Amino acid sequence: MALALPADPAVSPMDPPQDGGLDLVAAYKAMVLIRAYEERILQARTDREVIGPVHPYIGQEAVAVGVCAALQPRDHLVSHYRGHGHALARGVDLDALTAELFGRADGLCGGKAAALVSDPATHLLLSSGIVGAGIPVAAGAAMTSQVRRDGAVAVVFFGEGALGAGVVHETLTLAVAQRLPLILVCENNGYQGATRTEEVYPETSVARIAEGHRMPVHRVDGNDTLAVHAAAAASVAVARAGQGPAFIEASTYLTRFHLQFDRPSGERRPAEELDGWLARDPLDALRGHLLAAGTAPDLLDALHSEAERRVEAAVAFARTSPWPAPELALTNLWAGTP
Amino acid sequence: MNELAVLDLVLEQELDRNPDLVFLATSTPPSWRTRFGAERVRTCPISEPAMVGAALGAAMTGLRPVVDLNRASFAFLVMDQLVNHAARIHYLSDGSYRAPMVLTSATRGPQQLGPQNEQCPYGVFMQTPGVRVAVPGSATDACALLRTAVRDEQGPVLLFIAPGLADHCDLRAALAAEPQPFGVAHRVREGDAATVVAIGSAVHAATRAGDELAAEGVHVELLDPRTLVPLDLPALAASVLRTGRLVLVDDGPRSGAPAQILAALLDVPGVALALGGRIAHVSAPEVPVPSSPVLEAQYWATPERVTAAVRRLTAAA
Ligand SMILES: Cc1ncc(C[n+]2csc(CCOP(=O)(O)OP(=O)(O)O)c2C)c(N)n1
Repeated sequence: MALALPADPAVSPMDPPQDGGLDLVAAYKAMVLIRAYEERILQARTDREVIGPVHPYIGQEAVAVGVCAALQPRDHLVSHYRGHGHALARGVDLDALTAELFGRADGLCGGKAAALVSDPATHLLLSSGIVGAGIPVAAGAAMTSQVRRDGAVAVVFFGEGALGAGVVHETLTLAVAQRLPLILVCENNGYQGATRTEEVYPETSVARIAEGHRMPVHRVDGNDTLAVHAAAAASVAVARAGQGPAFIEASTYLTRFHLQFDRPSGERRPAEELDGWLARDPLDALRGHLLAAGTAPDLLDALHSEAERRVEAAVAFARTSPWPAPELALTNLWAGTP
Repeated sequence: MNELAVLDLVLEQELDRNPDLVFLATSTPPSWRTRFGAERVRTCPISEPAMVGAALGAAMTGLRPVVDLNRASFAFLVMDQLVNHAARIHYLSDGSYRAPMVLTSATRGPQQLGPQNEQCPYGVFMQTPGVRVAVPGSATDACALLRTAVRDEQGPVLLFIAPGLADHCDLRAALAAEPQPFGVAHRVREGDAATVVAIGSAVHAATRAGDELAAEGVHVELLDPRTLVPLDLPALAASVLRTGRLVLVDDGPRSGAPAQILAALLDVPGVALALGGRIAHVSAPEVPVPSSPVLEAQYWATPERVTAAVRRLTAAA
């Protein structure tokens, strides 16, 4: 069975933009940057320059960009191991992120985190390596906003695999009951590692699971930046108004499968399924919108070369950054320690 | 789906051998599902606490579950089911219920998985009475201990596998390994200059250190406990009483297994006196494992660190 496309007929990829607030060129620029970055990071991993595992975000760029475009600087974000896309969409410093992935001294977390970065400057709390674990943490950030009445919201990105974890269901119940300003963004790419989600869940639409917790849900085509953004903007408005959480199920697909260590990982998904999704590439889709709206192709092409230049500069920065001093491994165990 | 691939071969043989054996993991080999059926080979959602709780119920009612937790860090997700329930049921029921179940997981390899997913938490489980803890130092012992774990009746077993064991795996020997009783240390090399007790991934480094020292005429006795619970205290104590020097080697923190082994040894009459302070540790610092390989370097029990520790103790004689 092919992976189900968005089930909700109300939100089709062909709907006209519902949200005037999204700067399409800026969104395209952000997505192009993520795409160029991820391709380059995979190459750097093959070249043994990047350390640890790389979980590429290629194919899901519309989700990070569509959601982050609906946020303000005061909002909080929680990501996970497939987090470079979220980080870049949020505006995490490209040089520092890259140096971190290279394990260098100028890395965002001094080389301690690799891909599992935190960045207070952009309110990126956590990128957890434990599936589902970040979701209650985001709920906690939402509690802070609720107590302080500062109007901030918390957003957490996760794969549909996280819905297997009990702590996620606990958090859904808690967030609804306590009306937390929390937006849960589930990037449903149909796979949990090598396991197809339909093998292990009673439902392939995880939105129905969220509905069971009485969580308001939005089902969107996760490859449609406009649709993602519209759902995020609506959810953020509700949460900011103190009316509680929302769950966005963004149906999408990984162009590059799951995970890479030393060698590019093999493809194990059905060819027709992959081809079907490649034909629905989120960058192509947004480009189509832009061209239809009269944007000059040259302008868009220039964004690609600009992104490649920017990424190459970040790689050069990371390469020239020194290795951290070994004794720094012992620092910052808790606040107040050296 | 183990980091040490030969364990999958052993498990497949054991699945074939015992129709009560069931396997739970978030990812399972398709060939096993075909061969043994989806009822015995269960692909599960990412639901480790439920998987371990279900394993307990299944074990209490006659099955023999094996749960692959994948990473040892995920053992922390299942603490309630494992510690408060699986580890306690035999005691709580005064022996009327048994919970023969096995949890496998990978500890540390130089994989740069970072502070969350690179750790050796077995010391924690030495403090949770009711679970047995196996930390093999070779692929062959890993296979042998897995066979014992899935065949015996006694209760829950945690089998911690260092990914690095795959680097020195003698496939033929590993597959042929007979079940190995728990609580029997392996004397990797004999000697009387010092007793070196090495755990898991550190056994290989300690072996190389032993070879290097032997070339200089310093013959250490290298013991691999293989299981931390039960611990072969008689073998460790006998060696220490003879050599009067002890080096504890582990890729986990000193506060974990090494501290607990030392405390147990010091309780054996004569050991404290025999050692007279000639004790050294080669272990990871008491901080999480960082991602950068440069930062992580000092977290490994290298042969150099082991030889240096032995030399320090032998010089102090
Ligand atoms: C608690 C836990 N169990 C298992 C894993 C191993 N693991 C890493 S990624 C992954 C698949 C997750 O799939 P999903 O949540 O759908 O996200 P995707 O990788 O598809 O983006 C698994 C099982 C983990 N990181 N955490």
